[in-house]
Amino acid sequence: MTTTRRSLLAAAALAPLAAPLAQSQPRRVLIGYQLPLTGEFSQYGERFRNSALMALDAFNRSGRLPVPVEIVFEDTRSDPREAVAVARKFVDNREIVAVLGDFSSSASIQAGRVYAEAGMPQLSQTASHPDFVKISPWQFRNITTQAYEGPRVAEWMRENGVRRVAVVAIQNDWGQSVVSNFAEAFRAGGGEVVATQFFNPGNREFRAILTEIARARPDAIYIGMFYEDGAAFLQQRRQLNIRVPVYATSSLYEPKLVELAGAGAEGVFLSTTFMATSPEPHVRAYVEEYRRRFGNEPNMFSAQAFDAVNILLEAIVRAWPEVTRARVRDELARTRDFPGVTGVTTFDPETREPAKTLARMRIENGQFVLLR
Amino acid sequence: MRKHLAPLAVLGVLFGLLPASLSAAGSGYLFRLADVTLIFCILALSMQLITGVAGLLTLGHAAFYGIGAYTAAILSTRVGLDAGLTIPASGLVAALFGVLIALPTMRLVSIYFAVATLGLGEMIYVTLLNWVSFTRGPLGIGDIPPLRPFGLDLSSPLGTYFLVAALAALALLVVHRLAHSYYGNALRALREDDQCADAMGLPVVRLKIEVFAIATFLAGLAGALWAHTTGYVNPADFRFAESILILAMVVVGGLGSIPGAIVGAALLILLPEALRAIGEVRILAVGLIMFLCILFLPKGLFGEVAALDLVRRQFGAAWGGSPAGRPLGWR
Amino acid sequence: MFDRFDIFFVQQLVNGLSVGLVYALVAIGFTLIFGVLNVVNFAHGEIYMIGAYAGLLAIVFLAPPWVALILLVLAAGVVSGVVLERVAFKPFRRFRDEASLKSKAMRESTLLSSLAVSIVVRESVEKILGADMQPIPRAYADAMQEPISLGELSVASGQIAILAAAILMFATLQWILTRTDIGLSIRAVAANPLGAQYVGVNVDRTVIATFAIGSGMGAVAGILIGLYQGTIFPAMGFAPGVKAFVAMVMGGLNSIPGAVVCAIVLGLSEAVATEFFGQGWADLVAYVFLVLTLVFFPTGLFGAGRERV
Repeated sequence: MTTTRRSLLAAAALAPLAAPLAQSQPRRVLIGYQLPLTGEFSQYGERFRNSALMALDAFNRSGRLPVPVEIVFEDTRSDPREAVAVARKFVDNREIVAVLGDFSSSASIQAGRVYAEAGMPQLSQTASHPDFVKISPWQFRNITTQAYEGPRVAEWMRENGVRRVAVVAIQNDWGQSVVSNFAEAFRAGGGEVVATQFFNPGNREFRAILTEIARARPDAIYIGMFYEDGAAFLQQRRQLNIRVPVYATSSLYEPKLVELAGAGAEGVFLSTTFMATSPEPHVRAYVEEYRRRFGNEPNMFSAQAFDAVNILLEAIVRAWPEVTRARVRDELARTRDFPGVTGVTTFDPETREPAKTLARMRIENGQFVLLR
Repeated sequence: MRKHLAPLAVLGVLFGLLPASLSAAGSGYLFRLADVTLIFCILALSMQLITGVAGLLTLGHAAFYGIGAYTAAILSTRVGLDAGLTIPASGLVAALFGVLIALPTMRLVSIYFAVATLGLGEMIYVTLLNWVSFTRGPLGIGDIPPLRPFGLDLSSPLGTYFLVAALAALALLVVHRLAHSYYGNALRALREDDQCADAMGLPVVRLKIEVFAIATFLAGLAGALWAHTTGYVNPADFRFAESILILAMVVVGGLGSIPGAIVGAALLILLPEALRAIGEVRILAVGLIMFLCILFLPKGLFGEVAALDLVRRQFGAAWGGSPAGRPLGWR
Repeated sequence: MFDRFDIFFVQQLVNGLSVGLVYALVAIGFTLIFGVLNVVNFAHGEIYMIGAYAGLLAIVFLAPPWVALILLVLAAGVVSGVVLERVAFKPFRRFRDEASLKSKAMRESTLLSSLAVSIVVRESVEKILGADMQPIPRAYADAMQEPISLGELSVASGQIAILAAAILMFATLQWILTRTDIGLSIRAVAANPLGAQYVGVNVDRTVIATFAIGSGMGAVAGILIGLYQGTIFPAMGFAPGVKAFVAMVMGGLNSIPGAVVCAIVLGLSEAVATEFFGQGWADLVAYVFLVLTLVFFPTGLFGAGRERV
């Protein structure tokens, strides 16, 4: 027998062995997504889902994988208890290789314990509590924490000559981290926090808080709230004729804020990672398609979800054809310079914290304007 | 033997059939669901004791559940006690608060009492939320160790289930024995008309305080179980909405009926999970079902129908000769 | 400590007064219904929310003048109230014998049925119109949110409007209750339902009328407060509902003037508490007042109250 024939024979003999390997390629790839589809945060969950579907459709159409990827959405109302139940459900489903979500840090952390124990990679688009990624090597997030944002805003205020600041934040896990990170950084820079006011979730009456702050005569007010509370706050500030400038967190970057707050929103400073008005082509494409498909403007939350889904899809592509939970986790950890609509994202190899850039904006004449 | 059939059946299902099928299914999700259902069974039973049997409508029950949960959380994370001590301690602390609250409010009549418990429940929630230095406020207390009572490691899904089931069986025993006894009859007399009961010589205020203490003790136990099985407590789990949920369980199941409380608890925990498939209209469907249950079964699924009919018939006889069961006068 | 009593403190009192008036507006309708039927209407907050949404839809699609807007919302409130009564309360009045009237099971059923209906209504609105805050067309919103300076104090135009509305509503209600036939029947049924039926009052119609009036007022409160606060969202009825409830209990369960006064006191206390303790703890104020009133003034501060309920 010639060498060629022997090789062909050997190859033919070995071919059946390759068949099982080929069959072990999954027929589809499943991702779980836990998010608030009902309840008080349902509008955020809806945006996440919209962005996720957009990203998924584009990905499946592109044909980068020979099999379709599907997302299983489960409603948790961002409630820690339901998050745990859904987490166990996802873990039990052997087809699911990775999970996205949840919305709030407490829900993500609780679900995170389940995922850590069972070994399932989890990527949250909005959990910003510092403890989240410390649970285990399975947790990831693509949003900057307040530990990142707080000091940068403190520095910005110092640059603008603010020496005395009053802080108002919502009494929940996120609000607490906003205040602690910002206040520490501001004081470290030599400033003075003249008043700190927390308000219970659900409260929209800020006049008493505003009057109390006004008495302390701060140079500026820093608010840690979601845009609906923020809109009420800004309106009421205008009604009470308080002219102190307001700085806000990135959660207030939302076109509806101007609609809701009217003239009260004029002059508000905020930082953000996502700008709908950015001239960059991939951001423009995203904004236009979102607008066309869903009829309203995407905001930072929608953009975060869009990037999170795409980052995960990239990791899955890199892990192909051995798409297991462990492999997806490892590939996620290798995310470097991912060009998302919320900026370029890289996960730190040690801490898995994302590094991004923060832009400064101001509301002028009812529009969000990029500064500098 | 007939007398022992029902309790044996319950024990058989609880400690035999259910864990066997859960183990066979091998699903962490189902185990968790079973644990949560049993914890809420304990809560529903304790509520049934106060509201169904003794007739004291309370709208702040979740607060005691919360106190028990936080006691277990703080004792296990800061003092390092294990579940064998935290669980009874939580029950005692909750009962202590229960007595403290019962003392000034016991003289209040039904709806005033309900409103007072609503107020007190909300006060406890706001305190848990805002006393950040002690309870960590909205950040909650996490990393609560799983169930390892007295060094015995029950942290596996099966082990946890057995401990929760054991405590649920205990609660069931206590409530059942209390309700089906002369003590229970005294409580029912309170429910129907406490002025009459007082006139008959029953120590009304003492009875109310006692039953409140027992019920809040059970609620505290449930809270401790919740803390250890979930690993995390947060003030948002113990608000007015939870109290309403527990109340709904009792009402749907039927006031005064023990199987009713269990069925009500199971229904209101499992139904939203089963309805996950229809996703977004889930809460709406639960509200609708609650409403339909109330409308067509105003005495609940297993309410003490016989008792109510009996009472109405008695009054009918006293008013002179209207046929048994027909309502008087107005159509 | 006395340096606290400066112009800012006066501003706090003004804030508190306006918040109290908001609670009072909601409490008026709520107390009317409770006084007559002796059942807590858990769905009153949802009627308030329906009024706000009805007004908003009217503004967006019809842009009517103010008077027409109020009338439209009033109508919406009346219709919702009557439907609510038919669906959640009427079926439980089929048992009218003494044993059932005294039975706690029946009373709790109506409490829970109105609660269940409130859940269904709120979730439906959330599904249909979305859970987020609805923006209000600028013309109407600005009219209610203009700051008016009185020296160093600042008041919003909406606060004046709410004050006027509260006075008007209260006066109208007093007039209805004391000078009309239906008002007389309402007072009769409130005092003694069986006795009223004995003397020929049509209890069913009276109850419908009570719900109509109470809900109409609740709905108007909803649109006014919604426009003033600039926030209209499906869960908006819960917080004012609870505070109105507290005001009602403090005032003595069936005294409308009592409820109004207590609502104002509640608002003022919350503002002062925020001043000294922070908003988080100020939420406690309402409940502390509630418990103290119940324990030390079991029949309420103003009402003759009911001894046996």
